[in-house]
Amino acid sequence: MSLRVLNPNAEVLNKSAALHMNINAAKGLQDVLKTNLGPKGTIKMLVGGAGDIKLTKDGNTLLKEMQIQNPTAIMIARTAVAQDDISGDGTTSTVLFIGELMKQSERYIDEGMHPRVLVDGFEIAKRATLQFLEKFKTPVVMGSEPDKEILKMVARTTLRTKLYEGLADQLTDIVVNAVLCVRKPDEPIDLFMVEIMHMRHKFDVDTRLVEGLVLDHGSRHPDMKRRAENCYILTCNVSLEYEKSEINAGFFYSNAEQREAMVAAERRSVDERVKKIIELKNKVCAGNDSNFVVINQKGIDPPSLHLLQQAGIVALRRAKRRNMERLVLACGGEAVNSVDDLTPACLGWAGLVYEHVLGEDKYTFVENVRHPHSCTILIKGPNDHTIAQIKDAVRDGLRAVKNTIEDEAVILGAGAFEVAARQHLINEVKKTVQGRAQLGVEAFADALLVVPKTLAENSGLDTQDVIIGLTGEHDRGNIVGLNQQTGEPMDPQMEGIFDNYSVKRQIINSGPVIASQLLLVDEVIRAGRNMRKPT
Amino acid sequence: MREIVTVQVGSFANFIGSHFWNFQDEMLGLAADPYGDPAFKTQSLNMDVIYRTGETHQGTTTYTPRLLSIDFQGSLGSVSSKGTLYSEGSNEPSEVVTWAGHVSTHASEPQKKNLFLQSLYQEEQDAPLTNGINGEAKDSQHEIQDTDIVNCLDEGVQFWTDFSKVHYHPQSLYEVNGLWMDAKQFDNYGIGRDVFMENLRGEEICDKLRFFIEECDHIQGFQFIVDDSGGFSPLAADFLESVSDEYTNTPVLLYAVRGPSSHMSLSSRKQTVVRDLHDAVSFSRLSSFCKMIVPVGLPSLSRSKTSTFLKIKDENPYHCSAVYAAALHSTSLPFRMEPLGATADLSDVSGAVDVNGFVQMLAGQSRQNMVAILDAAMPGPCLSGKQDKQSLLGNLHPLTPEVAEDVDDLQAVESMIVHGAIGSGGHRLSVSEVKNAIHGVYECATTRPMFCHLSAARCPLPIPLPFPSIFGNLVGQHGELLGSPILGSSSRGSLDVHSIPMAARIRSSRAIMPFLENRLANLRKFGIERGCPGTELLRSWGFGKDELEDMGETLSKMVRTVDPYSDISSDSD
Repeated sequence: MSLRVLNPNAEVLNKSAALHMNINAAKGLQDVLKTNLGPKGTIKMLVGGAGDIKLTKDGNTLLKEMQIQNPTAIMIARTAVAQDDISGDGTTSTVLFIGELMKQSERYIDEGMHPRVLVDGFEIAKRATLQFLEKFKTPVVMGSEPDKEILKMVARTTLRTKLYEGLADQLTDIVVNAVLCVRKPDEPIDLFMVEIMHMRHKFDVDTRLVEGLVLDHGSRHPDMKRRAENCYILTCNVSLEYEKSEINAGFFYSNAEQREAMVAAERRSVDERVKKIIELKNKVCAGNDSNFVVINQKGIDPPSLHLLQQAGIVALRRAKRRNMERLVLACGGEAVNSVDDLTPACLGWAGLVYEHVLGEDKYTFVENVRHPHSCTILIKGPNDHTIAQIKDAVRDGLRAVKNTIEDEAVILGAGAFEVAARQHLINEVKKTVQGRAQLGVEAFADALLVVPKTLAENSGLDTQDVIIGLTGEHDRGNIVGLNQQTGEPMDPQMEGIFDNYSVKRQIINSGPVIASQLLLVDEVIRAGRNMRKPT
Repeated sequence: MREIVTVQVGSFANFIGSHFWNFQDEMLGLAADPYGDPAFKTQSLNMDVIYRTGETHQGTTTYTPRLLSIDFQGSLGSVSSKGTLYSEGSNEPSEVVTWAGHVSTHASEPQKKNLFLQSLYQEEQDAPLTNGINGEAKDSQHEIQDTDIVNCLDEGVQFWTDFSKVHYHPQSLYEVNGLWMDAKQFDNYGIGRDVFMENLRGEEICDKLRFFIEECDHIQGFQFIVDDSGGFSPLAADFLESVSDEYTNTPVLLYAVRGPSSHMSLSSRKQTVVRDLHDAVSFSRLSSFCKMIVPVGLPSLSRSKTSTFLKIKDENPYHCSAVYAAALHSTSLPFRMEPLGATADLSDVSGAVDVNGFVQMLAGQSRQNMVAILDAAMPGPCLSGKQDKQSLLGNLHPLTPEVAEDVDDLQAVESMIVHGAIGSGGHRLSVSEVKNAIHGVYECATTRPMFCHLSAARCPLPIPLPFPSIFGNLVGQHGELLGSPILGSSSRGSLDVHSIPMAARIRSSRAIMPFLENRLANLRKFGIERGCPGTELLRSWGFGKDELEDMGETLSKMVRTVDPYSDISSDSD
């Protein structure tokens, strides 16, 4: 071989070995993630070498935690993680689908079929499936007042695959309300405007939605109010700390008064900025019992804090950059970058601002705002790994609701789409295809069934029975999904099981592409490293 | 107060950091120890500058480094990423409350704690912890065990946590996960290019940093220690960019450190090109987001002049990092000295300066050269004794690679830090004696810098128990240099040497020229010139032609600031 001449250390896997390496890697990854799928899946507890616990039922998280070394597996994992980045869900399904496509192909390839033919069949089947998806989807009209029920059903479907039912149902309302809160007509939804904050405190069911904002810091002055009602909120990005000038200057003084005078002079410009804020406070708070809260992105040093405290102002420093945006959306007003042109119009308003202290962690709640366009999901849990898992689930739930609003469509879940699409491919599409590419279509169609099959397997049901039951019911003209309690076919619409349209579309799009690429590999070359070492 | 936030990025940076914090912990311990050396009981060094006070959920007060450490997943070895102080206790029932269905547990093999960590945990269980300070056990029964510990560390340190005796705050530790590659492959700029941006990592890292900054009343600066030999360099560069964006007026002092493994000779020309380009790109990117950059890390520390009195195994990061950490400890001392008025008593410390002042002094004055050289003398030489006036300056050897020797630079600016210096009689010198001695040294030096700032402190560098046995047999118990070798052992460690005097110097001098020139030349040769071998590679790293030319221009400007007449800086047009 020519490569041998160029590099005697290069290692080459020939055609069938290369193919089987790819197929095995895909199947291996599928096996790992298989048990994750669906509301009856298995949660995985990962215990690290140092005893760190991580809980996950999320394919995405699991893939990131695994130290994958096999190059094929990495390729699949990257696709799956990209899937999550784009649509927020479907990582597990993508891996399962790719794995199953490879597994189905293996059968045909072992019988001597050329991968190219299969890949052609995949391409045809993919296009047909996408067309079928358009027909199959259930359109949802969003308009100005989205149908809350359908959003809840989508969110519940996702959340129930990650958390136990009681908690999932509780979070369903939370995530739907959160997304509706930040949604503005005719604008894409920015999920970053939903802050996700956590406290290691109490129980998971104490998780709640705060209409307003929770900041993870408090005021740094011992005498500032811990609780204030009817607050004007000033959101600003103004440095209120004394910064040394670029040029080195020393203090020379001979007595205490002189020193005081010099310090005061140095500080004057900072103090003037603070005074402007105090002036504004006096203007708006005169004659009523309102309070004044300053939330600053830059620092506030102790002398400035003291001045503010003397004026009865609550001040927080070093707010997150993202919170500046959120604060304005939650409380109104605008974020100011200079104190020169302060007017009462810059101020936002909140009914209640209070501080909550847990050990060294302080939280400031900004609540009872008038027209919130930003909100906070406050996750509570007894320990870090529980919190992390709820957080992952909440993220997925938010994405699912957002997708639904943007897709203006949903797909019937519980395997209904996969069964219908498979029957469509076998009964209709396959007949229109010439020659051996038919087999590619058939492999693709069978691979689609991996979702209902895995759902059945995870529920401890017999996969053959379930598939026969589902296809039979489908051929009688009903759209059916799998009831995981009984193993009987059921109508997902009645049960309220809906998946995201865009997630399904993405899976159907990306799965065959990767599978085709892997199937068409006929030589694996790795120069200078041992490829066959066990992974 | 003038707080410093330390950031460590990359494996070797964390090795150095681990030693650095061990020194700090030892200083705290000795200050609290009633039988300790009085030199450590000084009020003039304010540890709050680099430490923070906190409180756990249980209400226990904690005192932990104001630190953010970034490393690979799994690089923490047997230490939990939640730190040791704030954990909920390992004996809690690990039941899953969020899932009613099946649970499958995948436990990886527990990392075994080595002898040292075992003894630490044991000690803690015996006595309730005292603010993270571990006094040294002195009774003879422990002595035997201590030798075992020292030997075990000398043989088998694998992770930087293996020899760390410091408690870290959970917000201090960040593990980069989901890279799907082993550390060996993570070795060039291209590979780490997107790591900071992907998966919201950047946001998580910035949030952790913000945690420490929010509680600072008046932050004086950042101290970054970055292992820039591999994929952590772009991560650090992106991080620095967002830091300089968010905290505009806070100066960043950056140590770009190199481990011994990054200097391995490479077999193929292609690998050499990749590495040279990495060095050039990495240096140019990192330097653009800080106020001053100090490259640290010699290709062969054991053969350098710095280790005249040391016995170092080059391939062992535990050994090498100890030397660099000692030098970094010295250079950080002036930042936490209490600034005293002109009339105040100078017995313990002198020469306080803050990060901003330090950076201004070295990188701001006259020439705006921001690339500085770190020199160190470990252990610092004896200062009085008429015969060896030259010995201090002669003993300071660079820890910065690719530095020219014996450069006569009239515009050089230096900051010298001497602490724990010992006089001819073997007694510790007072600060004013040190100052006189140093003045004397400069008086008779043949080449003198334009400006020299001296910081001095009485307390020497304490050697903690987890410290490699790297001292040669000419080093005495208090770091004094002996006339005749101690018989019996060839290398001496923490059990024989309790503290050493140190001298370190950061200088801005023309001696840095080779370092800059090499990077500029490599960038031109492999990256910018027509038909050069690296264009494709650099494009895959995300650098277009224009960016590279800008980069080349910046580098040649750096060369020009140091030496306006250099040939290499002009041939760009």
